[in-house]
Amino acid sequence: MFQANTQIGDYLVDEHGRKIKLHFDHGTTTLGFKFQGGTILVADSRATSGQYIGSGNVRKIIPITPSLLGTMAGGAADCTYWERVLAKQCKIYQLRNRVHISVAAASKLLANMVYQYKGYGLSMGVMIAGYDKKGPGLYYVDNDGSRMPGNLFSIGSGSIYAYGVVDSGYRWDMTDEEAHDLGRRAVYHATHRDGASGGIVRVYHIKEDGWTIISEDDCTDLHWRYQDEKMASSSQ
Amino acid sequence: KITYFQSILSYNGGCVVAMKGKNCVAIASDLRFGVQLQTIATDFERVFEVGPNLYIGLPGLVTDTQTVAQKLQYRTKMYEMREGRQVRPQTLMAMVQNLLYERRFGPYFVEPVIAGIDPSTNEPFICAFDLIGCASTPGDFCVAGTCEENLFGMCETLWREDLEPEDLFEVISQSLVNAFDRDASSGWGAVVHIIEPHQVTTRRLKCRQD
Amino acid sequence: MSLECLIGIKFKDFVIMATDMSCLQSIMVHKGDADKMQKLSSHLLMAVSGESGDTTQFSEYIEKNVQLYKMRNGYELPPSAAVHFTRNTLATHLRSREPYMVNLLLGGYDPDQQTAELYYMDYLAASIPVNYYAFGYGGWFTLSVMDREYRPDMSEEEAYGLLVKCTAEIKRRFLANLPKFRVRCVNKDGIKDMKNIVADGEPA
Repeated sequence: MFQANTQIGDYLVDEHGRKIKLHFDHGTTTLGFKFQGGTILVADSRATSGQYIGSGNVRKIIPITPSLLGTMAGGAADCTYWERVLAKQCKIYQLRNRVHISVAAASKLLANMVYQYKGYGLSMGVMIAGYDKKGPGLYYVDNDGSRMPGNLFSIGSGSIYAYGVVDSGYRWDMTDEEAHDLGRRAVYHATHRDGASGGIVRVYHIKEDGWTIISEDDCTDLHWRYQDEKMASSSQ
Repeated sequence: KITYFQSILSYNGGCVVAMKGKNCVAIASDLRFGVQLQTIATDFERVFEVGPNLYIGLPGLVTDTQTVAQKLQYRTKMYEMREGRQVRPQTLMAMVQNLLYERRFGPYFVEPVIAGIDPSTNEPFICAFDLIGCASTPGDFCVAGTCEENLFGMCETLWREDLEPEDLFEVISQSLVNAFDRDASSGWGAVVHIIEPHQVTTRRLKCRQD
Repeated sequence: MSLECLIGIKFKDFVIMATDMSCLQSIMVHKGDADKMQKLSSHLLMAVSGESGDTTQFSEYIEKNVQLYKMRNGYELPPSAAVHFTRNTLATHLRSREPYMVNLLLGGYDPDQQTAELYYMDYLAASIPVNYYAFGYGGWFTLSVMDREYRPDMSEEEAYGLLVKCTAEIKRRFLANLPKFRVRCVNKDGIKDMKNIVADGEPA
């Protein structure tokens, strides 16, 4: 008789008392960077559980307010739930104080919330990005409760590949188009090499007046486009 | 059926499917070579030609794919020289069974799939093995590899009896591509062989690259 | 073990290979001028990483046998045949009591076919021809750099520049200290040493 019992903060246990490893959707590539023209967020759209591709068109960049975005990596349920709670908190903050919440404050709210559940098995690595009085903001928050500001982050199993492309192409004084292309290319390269990343490469740009979706391209279309460009430059 | 460590058989990724048609058979595979989630090559063929009308697919751990392919090549070539004739599909099946069972207690981590046409009777032939050489010879299709379950679903839905070569190509291609598009460790291109008594057509498919 | 880094890139008529020069053991750097490449024949170079001990034992065993073949037959094994022999040796030992834990990149030039060749071979003895690859954690960071920049018709200077970009990325993102890389090139004239790369990446 199968009887799975669970304790808070512990693993699920099967009928022989062995630990069942909770299966989280770890495979992802998300990327965020600040530059002269604001903040760019890019993400793939694949959701995997083990080898199986559960979905090919997930939205891993979630709107929190009209000027704040969050990214998802780790447990999909954890990220969507806690960023929804964060959205509520941000709205309440705005109604109480009659000002938009700063990126720093919003990310701190999230970090404090997940820190309360430290050790209970939450799995999330998120970026909170936005624009406030201090200019473009980008924070990394994870389930350990660590939170840090930065100019450039990439999270997920494909992040190493994305870093490889972004690091060699990143400049603060990029134009908007250069920044969009760099982010798109970085995540495309990650989807090609990393089995757990793929689907659609979505590029978001956050400026003073809020966020906009710049592009949503199927990474296979990007593959053939980039390959054609390479062939063209090679034959010259 | 013995499933050893799932992680060993799916370490490099990859899948193979074979199907029967009317006086023809088809075998197809993906082209990915990876190590766990990292894709290393997208031109790795895991289906090997054994004779003019006979192919074997060897999905599983790539080192054993290569070892088994080389050992089989040795054995079939020796057979051809000794007997002065081509290996029949049934004979290849027995050879593979023997080769795999020789390693009963330390198996090669491959699940071979054979597709061919018997040169004497022109009968289509397909069969599949587990990793220690238990063969099964179904009348419709055989699947193996990391997205086996997906392939079963696709083949059960699309396969029909007495498919002509062109229709067989369409059915096997759609089955394979749509199965591995839902699998993180196979895909990145595919190769399809349509085997008829007097010709073999090999095509590469343009696939998703993620 | 996979803290080590091997990089190999194949172009139209040459192969360029780089290996880090650090011998790492637990938390210490033992040696900063290591050579992780073994010359197998006049036109074949093997970069080796893995368990210390196994690396030298295995690479010397392969080298001596490739040399023995030349002495017995009066001509050298072409790279593809030498790679086949290497794979066979590694695969045979894999199913013995003491398998060799070595990852290899074999770069060569076949003077008869006039082609440059690069082979990937991991410790399980899966061997495939590739255009470029990098072993070790360092490889994880550099693969996308090569995906982005690689063209098969690059010149030797451009190829060296690509390696500099790769090592800079390792310096920038990888926690282990791999400051220096030994670089060699294999072409129709054989194997030649190139200038060592001192990685110049700024920590992120």
